[in-house]
Amino acid sequence: MALVKMEPKGQIHFFSYDRQKIIEEIGKAQLLMLLDQMLLIRNLEVRGEAAYQQGKVGGFFHSYIGQEAIQTGCVAAAGKRHWYTATYRCHGLALLLGATPEEIMAELYGKETGNVKGRGGSMHLFTDRMLGGLAIVGSHVPIATGAGFSIKYLKQNDLASFCFMGDGAIAQGAVHESLNLASLWNLPCIYVIENNHWGMGTAVERAIAVSPIAEHFAHSYEIDPYTVDGMDVLACYALFKEVLKKVLQTSRPVLIEAITDRFRGHSISDPGLYRSKEDLQKAMERDPIELFKKVLIETRMLSESEFEDRDCQQREKVVAAMKFAEESPWPNPVTLEEGVFAP
Amino acid sequence: MEWQNVDIREALRQAIDEEIARDPHVLILGEEVAKYNGAYKVTKGLLDKWGPMRVIDTPISENGFAGLAIGAAMTGLRPIVEFMSWNFSFVAADQLISNAAKMHYMSGGRYHVPIVFRGCNGAAAQVSCQHSHCVEAIYGNLPGWVIISPSNAYDAKGLLKSAIRFNNPVLFLENELQYNDKMDIPSDEYTIEIGKAKVVQEGKHATLISYSRMLKFCTLAAKELAKRGIETEIIDLRTIKPLDIATVAASVRKTHRVVLVEEGHMYAGISAELGFQIMQHCFDSLDTPIERVCQRETPMPYSKVLESESIPNTERILAALEKVL
Repeated sequence: MALVKMEPKGQIHFFSYDRQKIIEEIGKAQLLMLLDQMLLIRNLEVRGEAAYQQGKVGGFFHSYIGQEAIQTGCVAAAGKRHWYTATYRCHGLALLLGATPEEIMAELYGKETGNVKGRGGSMHLFTDRMLGGLAIVGSHVPIATGAGFSIKYLKQNDLASFCFMGDGAIAQGAVHESLNLASLWNLPCIYVIENNHWGMGTAVERAIAVSPIAEHFAHSYEIDPYTVDGMDVLACYALFKEVLKKVLQTSRPVLIEAITDRFRGHSISDPGLYRSKEDLQKAMERDPIELFKKVLIETRMLSESEFEDRDCQQREKVVAAMKFAEESPWPNPVTLEEGVFAP
Repeated sequence: MEWQNVDIREALRQAIDEEIARDPHVLILGEEVAKYNGAYKVTKGLLDKWGPMRVIDTPISENGFAGLAIGAAMTGLRPIVEFMSWNFSFVAADQLISNAAKMHYMSGGRYHVPIVFRGCNGAAAQVSCQHSHCVEAIYGNLPGWVIISPSNAYDAKGLLKSAIRFNNPVLFLENELQYNDKMDIPSDEYTIEIGKAKVVQEGKHATLISYSRMLKFCTLAAKELAKRGIETEIIDLRTIKPLDIATVAASVRKTHRVVLVEEGHMYAGISAELGFQIMQHCFDSLDTPIERVCQRETPMPYSKVLESESIPNTERILAALEKVL
């Protein structure tokens, strides 16, 4: 007897939006900026992997390749002033919130000039508004909930707390305790499940009893759910714009599920043997950058050669960041014990 | 100076009340802290005085509310988290260990976590296997926080106030059986510096070192020896981490004989650490091997006969003192 039920799952209600309207609302300049940001994330991940293969980067390395549209759309729609919390798959969000490619690459290299001075590495990136880069699955969700609590306590009515998590986190109690507390106390928290279908090597249907995830669990906590195509940056933008407005009005949490895919293994050491080539190929046909590029070309905001130029520009930024990381000094071992405590 | 005679419960309540009054970012949350007035009444009257945004009842959700409080501390607040019992902190251990203790270092100094976790530690009256843990050795192994365990009302108030003002996580260990212990403390505001042990009784023949409720048994044992003209010096650690090894070493260099008393278990316990540090700093001053009296190596049994046999008591402390004298 199989341990996991394989019955048909519930119907998904995708967030729908008026694409033409959103394109007009965002405007050409910002649309191209969104593309640049996604390309920067992609290039940083690709080069980071290469540096890892060369032995320049150690530890774990979780790539955001394939999922770029979600956080890019979110930060563009909501702005950088809110609190943000992410998992160990955090390079993209750090970039979007203003960490430079230089400081991120230097952190991957373990250098003194790194984002957290070589203390955290790939999984622990922080910015003034980003509470991590926290790497115990589900464990960061109460932290983000606490940021929502601070917002309410301090009456910062124009702020929300965004929390990104993977589908694997949904099996953790910390997530459900957070949803209960946020609903109970009316906290302005925007929880985002980035469902890339895999918790490491375990398919989501072998780990989570319900599908779609947000639509099921949100109702249990009397909060509003959304499901969005996480490969469509414009859908993500439109959704986060709408959701933020609502959360700021109501001070009620929401639970979003962005259906996405990762085009790499769980981490760099994962060859993805549990996944068929066809399955991965099919997923990559919906590459969020390619989909967005197509829209931009269709609307005549971009040509194929302009795309190549932009991609090249972002690649050059990352290459320069690698040079910076390479040339940066190692942390002085004398400083090893500094910073355990705040003054 | 004006004095007031208060028990530890009231001393703690005053500390929380005064700090809530002093800083609008201070709040307390936990199970039953508000409407119920605290499972042990430490927060009695605070909800009425400060309202539901400063004194907050939580669901039975330690991992959730401990993490929430850490997130709140990272984003501008100074929460006090009451664990009804430190035994329940194990449910929240991931938040304490993975987030609170590591955040400042891990974020390259970007985020600090000004938070106090407080509640009852150790055995109470026959609460058995799952409600009698001493957590200081378990948490003491990790860098990133301070561990305080007061033994009297004066220290409880002054140290809790300092803990709330401290910019890093503090684990504040109280004892249910001591909440009613009274003493005179100043009526005026005061704080006590974190990290300072106190010589509570001077002596020249042996040094007894402990903290929290076990000091009572140390005092009884010392009295017993005093009848024979043996003068025992007693040190209250007050702060368990960091250890005030300077005060300890000064005493050991004077008496040359040491007994360590710890309510918790022996293996990798606080006394193991303390004993090692004494060996490092005072090797040439020791006339006999260090002795320690700890909890026996079993889960805490229920039966009062077995329970009292499990925890250090005056007889066992006396026996250890006899060995070093």
